[in-house]
Amino acid sequence: MSGGTLNLLIGLAMGLNLLALGSSRLPSLIRSMSLQGVVLGLMPLLMEPERLDWRVVAVALATMAGKGIVIPWLLRRAMRAANIERELQPFLGYVPSLLLGAGGTIAAVALAQALPLLPEHAGTLLVPGAIASMLTGFILLIGRAKAISQVCGYLILENGIYLFGLLLIHSTPLLLESGILLDVTVGVFVTGIIVDRIQRAFDSLDTRKLTTLRE
Amino acid sequence: MVSLLLATAAMGMLLSILLGSRAPKAWFAGVLVGAGTAFGAAVLTLVSGEVWRLHSGVRVGGEFIHLQLDALSALFLALLGVIGSLGAWYGREYWSEAAHPRSAGAGRAWWSVLVLCLGLVLVAANGLHFLMAWELFTLAAYFLVTLSRHSRVVRDAGWLYLVASHVAVLSLFAFFGMLAARTGGWELGPMRDRVELAPLFWFALVGFGLKAGMFPLHVWLPSAHANAPSHVSAMLSGMTLKIGIYGLVRFTGWLPVPESAGWVVAGLGLVSAVLGVAFALGQHDLKRLLAYHSVENIGIILIGLGFALVAVAQGNAAWGRLALAGGLLHVWNHGLFKSLLFFAAGSVLHATGTREMSRLGGLWRVMPWTASLFALGAAAISGLPPLNGFVSEWLVFLGLLEAALAHRAAAWGAVMAAILLGLTGALALACFVKVCGVVFLGAPRSAAAAHAHESGPSMRGPMLVLGAACLGIGLAPVVFWPAVSRAVDVWNPSWAGAESPTGLPALGMFHVGLLGVAAVLAVWLWRRVQGGVVTRALTWDCGYVLPTTAMQYTAGSFARIINEWFAWILRPVHHEERSMGSFPARASFSEHTPETVLEYALEPAARMVMQVSRTVRRLQHGRVQAYLLYLLVGLGALAALVLLGNGT
Repeated sequence: MSGGTLNLLIGLAMGLNLLALGSSRLPSLIRSMSLQGVVLGLMPLLMEPERLDWRVVAVALATMAGKGIVIPWLLRRAMRAANIERELQPFLGYVPSLLLGAGGTIAAVALAQALPLLPEHAGTLLVPGAIASMLTGFILLIGRAKAISQVCGYLILENGIYLFGLLLIHSTPLLLESGILLDVTVGVFVTGIIVDRIQRAFDSLDTRKLTTLRE
Repeated sequence: MVSLLLATAAMGMLLSILLGSRAPKAWFAGVLVGAGTAFGAAVLTLVSGEVWRLHSGVRVGGEFIHLQLDALSALFLALLGVIGSLGAWYGREYWSEAAHPRSAGAGRAWWSVLVLCLGLVLVAANGLHFLMAWELFTLAAYFLVTLSRHSRVVRDAGWLYLVASHVAVLSLFAFFGMLAARTGGWELGPMRDRVELAPLFWFALVGFGLKAGMFPLHVWLPSAHANAPSHVSAMLSGMTLKIGIYGLVRFTGWLPVPESAGWVVAGLGLVSAVLGVAFALGQHDLKRLLAYHSVENIGIILIGLGFALVAVAQGNAAWGRLALAGGLLHVWNHGLFKSLLFFAAGSVLHATGTREMSRLGGLWRVMPWTASLFALGAAAISGLPPLNGFVSEWLVFLGLLEAALAHRAAAWGAVMAAILLGLTGALALACFVKVCGVVFLGAPRSAAAAHAHESGPSMRGPMLVLGAACLGIGLAPVVFWPAVSRAVDVWNPSWAGAESPTGLPALGMFHVGLLGVAAVLAVWLWRRVQGGVVTRALTWDCGYVLPTTAMQYTAGSFARIINEWFAWILRPVHHEERSMGSFPARASFSEHTPETVLEYALEPAARMVMQVSRTVRRLQHGRVQAYLLYLLVGLGALAALVLLGNGT
C-alpha cells in the first residue's frame, strides 16, 4: 500500500548517496549523511502502518535522533575542536566517485533481480537501496583520506546495513537494534576524540600518514 | 638397585648443573658420579635384561611421570654415560677457565643439562615428556655449539642447527600428537598390532632422521659439528645423532610400520653411507671431514635397521636379527671411535689453532699420543680388523649375505647393499689415509704446525680410555654380544632365544692373533730403526733445488681422483691461476667443496620463499583505505562465487 512512499524514500536515500559522493566539503558530506539517517529513520513508520507497535516507533525515533542529530553534532564538534580544513582530500576524484556510485546503484538494482527474495520484498527498492548504500560507504572509505570523511563513509555503510535490517524489523529483537545504534554512536564519539588526538600527534588528519604506525 | 643408581645419576647431574658455572671441580665430580651411575644402571639392565619401570603419582604438564629402562634404552644410556663423563674430563683442559674465561662456566652447565636431558629422553615412556626432554636437549646442544659466539661462522652454524632441529621437533610434534590422538593418551609402549598407526612412521622418519643426520637431511650437521668445541662435537656426533637412531629403533619396535619402511630406511642408509664418505673425501677441514663421516656411519646403522625391518616384513627372517645387532653395535662403536677422533682433532686444533689440513703436517713427531690414537680411531672407523668397527660392519655384512643366500625377495637388495657397504669401507679407508698422511706425516706446512705441542693428561686420558674401548670390543666381541642381543630382543620379541652367530668367538680369536702378529712386527721394525739400519734422508725432490714444505701432497690432491668420480654431486669449486709466460709472477690454486644439498637445493628454495613473501608483504603497507578495498574485493569475490556457483 505504502510501497510507493517507501520506494520514494529509498530513492531519496540513493540520491543522497550520490550527493555524499559528489560533495567536496566536509559539512555538506555530514549533512547528506545525517539527512539520509533521518530518511531511513522514517521508514519503519511507513512500512506497515497497520502493524505499528511501540517497539518499531522507539527504534524509528532513536534512529532519527541518533543519526540525524547526535552523530552530526558530535562530528561537527570534532571538526571544530581539531580545526580541520573543510576541504576533502580525495584519493578518488569526485567525478570517478560519482560514476562508480551510479554504476554501483545500477548494478545493485540488477543484482537484486538476481537474488532469491521473498515476494513481499521483491517489489520494493529496499534491497538495491541497501546494496547501493553499502557500496557508497565503501567508496567513501576507500576514496577519502580524512578521518572524519572515513567516519561518514562508515555511517553510510551502516545505513545500508540498517536497510537490510528493515527486511527483518518484526523479527529482530529490540535489544539488538538499540545495541547496534548504541555501538555506532559510541564509535562516532570515540572517533571524535581520536580525531583530536591524531590532529595533535600528526598535525594532520590525513589517514595516509598513519602508515608510519605499521610494524 | 637400578632405581638407586638412576636416582643418584639424576642427583649428580642436577647438582653439576647448579655448580657448573662456579665450581669446576665440584661440577666434574657431579658429572662423573651422574654419568658413572647411569652407566652402571645401564650395564645392570643389559646384563640382567630386566625392565626397570617407574610410575610416579607426580604430574608434569598434566601427565603422570612414567619412566622405563629396558635393554634398548640401556644400550644408548651406557654410551651416554661413557661420552658424558669422558667429554667432561676432556673439556676441563680443552675449554678451560683460563683459556675461555667468558664461556667456560656456561659450557660446563650446559654440558650437564645436555647429558641429563639426553638421559631423560632415553628413559621417558610418555610422549609429552619425551618431547619436553627432546626440546631441552636440543636447546642445550645449541648453546654448546655456539660457545664461542663472537665468531660469525659459529653463530651461523648454530642458527642452522637450531632451525634444522626445530624442523625435526615439528615433525615429532606431528608424530606424537597424532599418536596421542589415535591411542587416546600420551603413554608409550608396544602397540605392534594397531595397524592404523603405521603411516605415522613417516613423520618419525623425518623427525628422527633429521636429528640423526641421514642424507639428505644432514645439511645442519657438518657446520655444527665443525664449529662446536671439540668435546661438544664428540658429544653431538657420538651421542645426539644416536638419539635420532634411538627414536627410529624405539618406535619401529613399538609401533607397526608401513610395508615399504624397511626398503626406504635401507635405501636412505646406503645413500647416506656412500655419499657421506664421498663428501668427507672432498673436505679440507679436519672436523668437517669427521662430521661427514658421521653421516656415513649413521648410514651403516640405518642399513642394519632397514634390513631388520625388511626381515620382519618377510616373516621375521633370522638374518634381520644379525643386521640389527650389527647396526646397534655400530651405535656403540661409532660413538666410541668418533668421540676418539673428535678428541684427537680437538687436540690438534688446541695445539695448532687451525682445522685446515693444508696448514698442518708432520705432527706425528711432536704429538705422538694424539697421532697414534687418531690412527687407532681411523683404523676403527675404516672398519679394519682387529678393531670394533670391523666387528659391527662384519655383523651387518653377515646379515646381508645371509639375506642374499636366503633367495627371497630381499636377496638382490642385500647383494647391492653389501657391495655398496664394501665400497663405503674402502672409501673411508682412503679418506683416513688422506687425513693421517696430510696431518700427521710429512713436513709441517705452517709455523703453527711446526711449533705444536702434545696436549696435557686431561685430554690424553679420555682418548686412551676410548682407544682401549675400541680395541676391547674388537678383541672380545663375545663379551658384548649378549648386551646387543638383549636390545634386539626388546625390539622384536619374536627373535628372542636365538643363539649368537657362530663366527663371533672365532672373529675374536682372529683379532687377538692379528694383534699379536702386529705387535711382533712392530717390535721388529722398532729394533731395525733403533739398530741404525734405517736412515733419514730427503725424499726424491724431482730435481728442485730448494724443496719447500708446500711441495707435498695436499689433502685436495690426494683425494682428487675419487673426488672426480663423485663430482656430479660434490660439485667442487676450483679457483685456478696458472703460471703464464717465461717468468711467471704468481700462480695459485684453491678448491672448495660446498654442502651441495644446502647450497644447491635448500638455499635457492629458501630464497624463492623469501622473494614471494616480500612481494606479498607489499600488500601490507598501512593504508587503511587499501585494506578496505581488499575487504570489498574479497567480499565481491565471495559473492560472485556464491552467485555463479549457485547451480553446482
